[in-house]
Amino acid sequence: MLKVENLGAGYGDLQVVWDVSFEVPAGALVAIIGSNGAGKTTTLRALMNLVPAMAGTIEFKGESIVGVPTHQIVERGLIMIPESRATFASLSVADNLALGAYTKRARRDRQTTLTDVYEIFPRLAERKSQLAGTLSGGERQMLAIGKALMARPEMLVLDEPSLGLAPIIVENTFDEIRAIRDRGVSVLMVEQHVEATLELVDYAYVLELGHVVIEGPSSDLMTDPRVREAYLSLQ
Amino acid sequence: MRQLIIQSAVSGLLVGGIYGIVALGLALSFGVLKVLNVAHGELVMLGGYAAFFLFTNMGLDPLLTIPLVFICVFALGTVLYSLLFKFVVRFDIETRIKNSLLISFGLVLILQAIAVFLFSGDDRTIVTEYSSKALVVTGWVRIPWARSAGLVVAVIAAFLLEWLLNRTTFGHAVRGTSEDWALASLTGINVRRVYMIAFAISAGLAGVAGSLVSLGYSVSPSIGLGWTLKALIVIVLAGLGSMRGIVLAGALLGLVEGLASVWLGSAYRGVVALVVFLVVLSFRPQGLFGRGGNHV
Repeated sequence: MLKVENLGAGYGDLQVVWDVSFEVPAGALVAIIGSNGAGKTTTLRALMNLVPAMAGTIEFKGESIVGVPTHQIVERGLIMIPESRATFASLSVADNLALGAYTKRARRDRQTTLTDVYEIFPRLAERKSQLAGTLSGGERQMLAIGKALMARPEMLVLDEPSLGLAPIIVENTFDEIRAIRDRGVSVLMVEQHVEATLELVDYAYVLELGHVVIEGPSSDLMTDPRVREAYLSLQ
Repeated sequence: MRQLIIQSAVSGLLVGGIYGIVALGLALSFGVLKVLNVAHGELVMLGGYAAFFLFTNMGLDPLLTIPLVFICVFALGTVLYSLLFKFVVRFDIETRIKNSLLISFGLVLILQAIAVFLFSGDDRTIVTEYSSKALVVTGWVRIPWARSAGLVVAVIAAFLLEWLLNRTTFGHAVRGTSEDWALASLTGINVRRVYMIAFAISAGLAGVAGSLVSLGYSVSPSIGLGWTLKALIVIVLAGLGSMRGIVLAGALLGLVEGLASVWLGSAYRGVVALVVFLVVLSFRPQGLFGRGGNHV
């Protein structure tokens, strides 16, 4: 579904991602983990062409998306939920969801997708006319995911979905991510919550200082001494 | 005295309507693109000339040609965006204001020079058969028809703009882009296209204001900066986020100026406007009707 090879990216003269390669097969749930400043968010921003890729190739469904404008990448079915501020605070819940289906491919099915989203998150239906800026953190996360689903993703990319959320809500969010994958959507997520993430995903890449240092099936990583020492704080 | 006060208040309100339309356009380009186009007043001026020549050369009524002038200046807006402002919006938001100021000050000089070259420096006013007619209330308060059009059109423009922004999908895309352009592009919105259209609508509104200026008042190549300044005051008074708030603030500014010119003499009308501006800024920095953000 998504194949990234030797990606380099950064801001102006400052390169923060070096030679990063990873792959998300169709229907898979893959994570990029690592600590703050490892280049995880920059990698995702380069994927969506919010920052230019300085080197390497990015293929989505077998076609290169390097240099393709962000909104056209979205039109092709690759949807990203950015970390925090993933909803329009000044728009109502219903308007946020409707905008989620802005692309041509999603607009046709807007009504049926909306029914589905309200079924998954009944809370959003209750808060339909409330401004997104006035929602609680958990509700805003539901809205962010609901808005992304409105775009009819073939692949969903999430940047730190657990950021700033209470543990119980993180758990709900991870359940929801699993449910999205079970519906046939490929998922790539970036996380700092290493343990919970490894329990959720099939395969993971560990990013350190802009390089992929370890990769493997999540069950292998959970027993890998380097991962355990650096991220799981277990002996 | 009472007659003079009421008459000045009415005149102030009517010119305030035009402040409102000029400010609507400026608020749209500032709120969405985060650029400050100080050449906005020059677009008012060009719209004024367009209406003037449509009237004197082709005999078309300036109120009927408003849509035509809107379209012409809208088109000019897309050209200016593509030639100049397109390059400004590539920067981050903080840099955009500074760069847009430099570019649009240059544009002020260029457009003024072109206007002097093409139209000469003379004051031009559209004189229709209803120009001297007025609605006379209670025997002595005159409400000139030609100037009333300004307030009426301002209110209509504000409601149309609010309808567009609040009720249409494209309008939601504009508001989304205004709030967070990166999130908007991740939503599948073509941010560059939204920028161009918002800028063009902003220009078109300036053109409409120009029509009303040349009908009720007069145009000359140098009027632009004065209108831009009034619009800036109105936007700070109103705050971003409410289009009808902007028209209301425009009318309020006109009213205060009108009353000030009676009580203190017309030399002080600009001063009083700035005092009101400072007072509002100190006590309600988000503006009288603003929502506190810098988006539309």
